[in-house]
Amino acid sequence: MSAVGVLLKKELIDSLRDRRTLLTMVLLPILLYPGMMALVGFVMAAGQERLAREELTVAVVGDDAEAFLRGQPPPAHTSYRRLTRAEAERALGEKKVWAVVDAPEGSHQEVSRGRQAHLTVLYTKRHDRSMEALERVRRVLASAAVGALKLRLAGAKLPETFAEPLKTEEVDVDFQKDLGPLVASRVLPVLLVVMLLMSALYPAVDATAGEKERGTLETLLAAPVHPLQVMAAKYLSVSVIATLATLVNLTAMAISFGIGFRFHETVARMAFGPGQISVLLLCLVPASFLSSGVALAVASLARSFKDAQNLLTPVALLAMVPGLLTMMPGIELNAWTAAIPLLNVALLVKATVLGTAGPLHVLITLASVLACSAGAVALAARAFQSERLRFGGAQSWRDLLRPSRPR
Amino acid sequence: MAAISLEELTKDFGALRAVDRLSLEVRPGEVVGLLGPNGAGKTTALRVLAGLLAPTSGRALLLGFDVTERPLQARRQLGFLTASTGLYERLTVKEVLSTFGRLHGMAEVAITGRLAQLSAELELSEFLDRRCGSLSTGQKQRVSIARAVLHEPAVYVLDEPTASLDPLASSGILEMVRRARGAGKAVLFSTHRMEEAEFLCDRLVFLAAGKAVAEGTPAELRHRSGEPSLTGAFLHYAKLGARS
Repeated sequence: MSAVGVLLKKELIDSLRDRRTLLTMVLLPILLYPGMMALVGFVMAAGQERLAREELTVAVVGDDAEAFLRGQPPPAHTSYRRLTRAEAERALGEKKVWAVVDAPEGSHQEVSRGRQAHLTVLYTKRHDRSMEALERVRRVLASAAVGALKLRLAGAKLPETFAEPLKTEEVDVDFQKDLGPLVASRVLPVLLVVMLLMSALYPAVDATAGEKERGTLETLLAAPVHPLQVMAAKYLSVSVIATLATLVNLTAMAISFGIGFRFHETVARMAFGPGQISVLLLCLVPASFLSSGVALAVASLARSFKDAQNLLTPVALLAMVPGLLTMMPGIELNAWTAAIPLLNVALLVKATVLGTAGPLHVLITLASVLACSAGAVALAARAFQSERLRFGGAQSWRDLLRPSRPR
Repeated sequence: MAAISLEELTKDFGALRAVDRLSLEVRPGEVVGLLGPNGAGKTTALRVLAGLLAPTSGRALLLGFDVTERPLQARRQLGFLTASTGLYERLTVKEVLSTFGRLHGMAEVAITGRLAQLSAELELSEFLDRRCGSLSTGQKQRVSIARAVLHEPAVYVLDEPTASLDPLASSGILEMVRRARGAGKAVLFSTHRMEEAEFLCDRLVFLAAGKAVAEGTPAELRHRSGEPSLTGAFLHYAKLGARS
């Protein structure tokens, strides 16, 4: 077995026996995804149900507003309260009522005469109750409008279809059965990119700063091995662990979505097909090699676990940005975004889930990720060749770029 | 030929000169002690010898191999031990020793045979399959010795190997050094324990501010410094180094 092989075996045994690595790699994803889905689904469903059953008061300003509202069956759990406009506005501000319906004097009569009335509904987006009250009032007023229209059409002896010469049915062929993929395309990129980096961070810190702190690096480098062989073994080990963690993450996610949580329809019954899984793996595995290289390069600057935490916290936060960007409307995988590392992986995950990933974009993403991985490994190797970084001393980001004498 | 040779060795860390034109030789079957106050440059000199640091100028050779020019050949001859046991706590004793044996190019059969021999000599048998993290300090130090001598190196470089050990554990190290000398190995080690130096070393080199300020047998150094004890000689040369 070559020196790299011997060292790789040692690194893997060392890492895989570490409880903290196992916790990050296996336990966290297995518990995280189902737990998160269950929690989000449960909270969303429970919140909406609770709001729908809430007793809400709507202020009514003037006889005409009352006439519009009273002419229709009242929404469930809703009561009306007559107030002046000033009183109603004050009551809305004081959260004594949740919406205000105001109609000008004579407007009800105007509608009966075939004219148009202008109504005002006051509400506030600051409170879910106000939004719920608005929805309830909207339904009542829409019903009143339909009723008035039917009367007019009957009076003019016109069919009900007269007012609707075109009836359009909009059919979303992708999502008509299930909104799961849409939700997943928003959530998965952030989760996967963050988990990818998190999976590489701890083993990378343990293999670099941890070795320095425990005094094992000195012993190892006094053996007849080249520092680059040591680095290569560490890189391969961290990459293998990060890849395994990614696979565990993907599996846990697929199972979570596949089983489906019935707490909320939008997160239910999402399943990855073999094609989607292949594309995800194709890009996530090289991406785990990229995150391992970055994590090792940065962790090599640290003298201890504490140093490493300080250095890697901004990296972890930065890694969330590409995932969050994918949530923004209009940001999609194209030839340009496919070239931006990490953002391309996040966008590819999104495109794969939505089934819109094209082969060219996959290729550009792969090329970009592999090129950046090579760069990250080169930086990590440089860090390991520098005796200043190997034995304490500096902790500057510039040290990664400073020329060092290879040994 | 000297087994260990430092030729005008200098090592700078930025503006700080840690080792200043240090020259010394250790012959096979000889034990040489490096003495000096903290910051005198002992650890830096030994780290250069172990190939962990590159010299700024001068040369360090192990059995004629320049540690900078031919680092792998030089390190194959080296048994290196520090105060920090440097063991992988999640690996078993057997795994640690086997890993280092393989890194030194030993065949599986040779490793097994040597493991059996060292287990008997250092009494490792009862904890060979235990993880290093679960061992006592003394047991860890015995494993470290085994790791350092597993490949039967010709040269031992020991950096304060007894610094954190109680007398019982220290005795294991001293016994190893005695055995090494008997087997014709060259040993260079640093220590702050004067009784160890007096007891073990054929020659001593006093370092101060990176320079060798005195060299000779323990008796010669006591005589030259006019001090009755080696501790007195240590203080004498440390003050001399500080003045220069």
